Amino acid sequence: MPGEISRRAVIASAALVPVAALTAAAQTPPTSALTDAQLRLLAAIVDRIIPKDELGPSASECDVPVYINRSLGDYLAGEKPAFGEGLEATDALARRAHNAAFADLTPGQQDALLTSMDNGSAEGFANARAFFNRVRRLTLEGMFGDPYYGGNKNFAGWDLIKYPGPRLATTAAEQKMGVDIQPYRHSAYGSAGEHGH
Amino acid sequence: MVINLKPVDVAVVGLGAAGGVAVLPLARAGLKVAGIEAGTWMDPAKDFKPDEIHNNVRGLVTTVPKAKKEIPTFRTSPDAKARQAATHPMMNAVGGTSIHYHAQSWRLKPWDFKSRSETIKRYGANQLPKGSTLEDWPVSYEELEPFYDTVEHEVGVSGKAGNILGTLDPAGNVYEGPRQREYPMPPLRTCDFLDHMHKAALSLGWKPFHAPSAINSQPYRGRAACAYHGYCDRGGCHVRAKNSTCFTTIPEAQKTKNLTVFDKAHVTRIVADGNGKVSGVLYIRDGQEYFQPAKVVLVSSYTYENTRLLLLSKSKAYPNGLSNNHGQVGKHYFGHWDAQAGVGVSALFPMDINTWYGAMLSQGVTVDEWADDTFDHSGLGFIGGASLCAFMEKHPIAAASMATFGRAPGWGSKWKQFVHENAGRFTGAYLQTNSFPYENTYLDLDPEVKDPLGDPVCRVTSGPKENETRAATYAQNKMEEWFRAAGAIEVVKGQPFGPALSTHTYGGTRMGDNPETNVVDRWGFSHEAPNLGMLGGSVFGTSGARNPTLTMQALAWRTAEHLAKNWKAIAGA
Repeated sequence: MPGEISRRAVIASAALVPVAALTAAAQTPPTSALTDAQLRLLAAIVDRIIPKDELGPSASECDVPVYINRSLGDYLAGEKPAFGEGLEATDALARRAHNAAFADLTPGQQDALLTSMDNGSAEGFANARAFFNRVRRLTLEGMFGDPYYGGNKNFAGWDLIKYPGPRLATTAAEQKMGVDIQPYRHSAYGSAGEHGH
Repeated sequence: MVINLKPVDVAVVGLGAAGGVAVLPLARAGLKVAGIEAGTWMDPAKDFKPDEIHNNVRGLVTTVPKAKKEIPTFRTSPDAKARQAATHPMMNAVGGTSIHYHAQSWRLKPWDFKSRSETIKRYGANQLPKGSTLEDWPVSYEELEPFYDTVEHEVGVSGKAGNILGTLDPAGNVYEGPRQREYPMPPLRTCDFLDHMHKAALSLGWKPFHAPSAINSQPYRGRAACAYHGYCDRGGCHVRAKNSTCFTTIPEAQKTKNLTVFDKAHVTRIVADGNGKVSGVLYIRDGQEYFQPAKVVLVSSYTYENTRLLLLSKSKAYPNGLSNNHGQVGKHYFGHWDAQAGVGVSALFPMDINTWYGAMLSQGVTVDEWADDTFDHSGLGFIGGASLCAFMEKHPIAAASMATFGRAPGWGSKWKQFVHENAGRFTGAYLQTNSFPYENTYLDLDPEVKDPLGDPVCRVTSGPKENETRAATYAQNKMEEWFRAAGAIEVVKGQPFGPALSTHTYGGTRMGDNPETNVVDRWGFSHEAPNLGMLGGSVFGTSGARNPTLTMQALAWRTAEHLAKNWKAIAGA
């Protein structure tokens, strides 16, 4: 079906993004924390947490996997083994249920598995709930954090929740209720720190 | 080899909210002061950013990760095994946690200093919290008032007085103790949402007001006014409008040439001689060990570290830890049942309330009707209560993490639709509950978990107590009433739990006249080591229903001034 094809295209492009981003930033370690296969799986998960719909792009279209991959390569390096195990267990869950990789399931099948992880009923996956909550948390960080860290591409996360953007000073008018505040779409690190850093 | 440094009059261990204030009266009195600080200076232009991941998610506003490498363990009962917390709420820098705090600058109430005797007088001894080791403070509000006043002006506090020498003004907090004069600056700017909450409180017959804060509402002593940019929580102020001690009292003390700041200095022990007097402190800087001799030592690290440092500093005169021959170091510990302890209240409004920007609680509106002993507790089964605060400042990741109030799932397109509509309509409230010390709440050294130097970390034994849980629940219901009066369509209340590490912790070196139950005397000096003083929340005997910093600073100033005035008697020169 067409939706499925475009979703896969999105996943494929998401897997390429870290390479491009890492090339652009000399100070970032040249190696990716996650493998291409892990990134493809991660993109499939985060795209069910924040799917593409009429309100805007999906998590992977906003480079949430880039944020998570980069975090696991530096600030969250200590968490990388456990995260990798969680991804593996998610795929194993998919193979047990449908004899296919998680990323190759339909959105409906993926949602059902993630729901079982979220409510702790995923059989044979002891830490499912904790892992799902961690992925969800990191997805929110990547979607709604400063684009400096690799996610929130084109400020789509801030547009989604109508956050007017960080600024250095705020006037009384910008603290009124029921007014549309002009969004200010810049990273805290200026244009050099915007997406692609 | 330990390098011996040139002796000084006073060594101050930790240049944070308390130590950073104490150095000023000492230096002005002509005493030579070594300010020994684990962290170093921060640069507002470089280090302070409107960046939620840096400030809040990763807690990177710090200079060295000392506190983060000695995170206390905690447990709910003396029989349980303690586990290490995930993170430490405090930071290390010149200025300490006064850099990223909310800067609320409250005076405690007169009642907070004599909760025990006032409770017995009004309700009878049966109303005292069961198992509590509550004592009246050896200091009254009236004795501390001049020091509150001094610090409000030296540091710079904005606010509106509610009681000047007995004359009440409903624009301020009419429930506060009498003060000698107005605040040096008016409160921070109000705004639509705060005005809305203000009106709702008035409609309930309550007396809302704007809380005091160490943030400039107008230019003050050469520093800028608040820019309300919304990254005050866990962030330093990029325009120096937050009056962290690194911008106020520490530079002021340096001007006298009597304060030398020793930065990146990790204090490991306080040294005592055979007669029980302290002789100086040992610290490590860049792998080299130094001994800083001093005639007087003032310890002003955080509550956990104040106790740990004393317990680690064993000697012939103090085999169980410095100033611990009565076994009181670490005792009478308690924490505020608010910060990180789940008694907050969240609300959803049917309209956009635009609370994105501002300055946390400092740009807030507070109700004090349900705190302290402001209301009649007869038959309620608890003492105390909580202050209620509606505030500004909301960050995007936190906003997207909002409760869904049963109206949407936690992820997927329906969730996306929910946060799209409601992230701007949601807010929390900050409740601070009067908390008390108990027989079975204490700090000691963990038998297993160690820091990178091999020293045990602090172990917290604490947990929710009936009195505080009842008080918090009572106050949460009042908060719900307030939100509903303001038109909230959904309200959820967090469940009290604990213990958790907190930025509001107290005790361990409690202040009191009786050396059998207290570590320091009414001036903050040890009952055992006469030239050792303790500063910070560790000397408090009650918490009050409000942030502790201004009281820590008033006490620190008082201890320092007492030392300067009684130098020969205390230093033994």
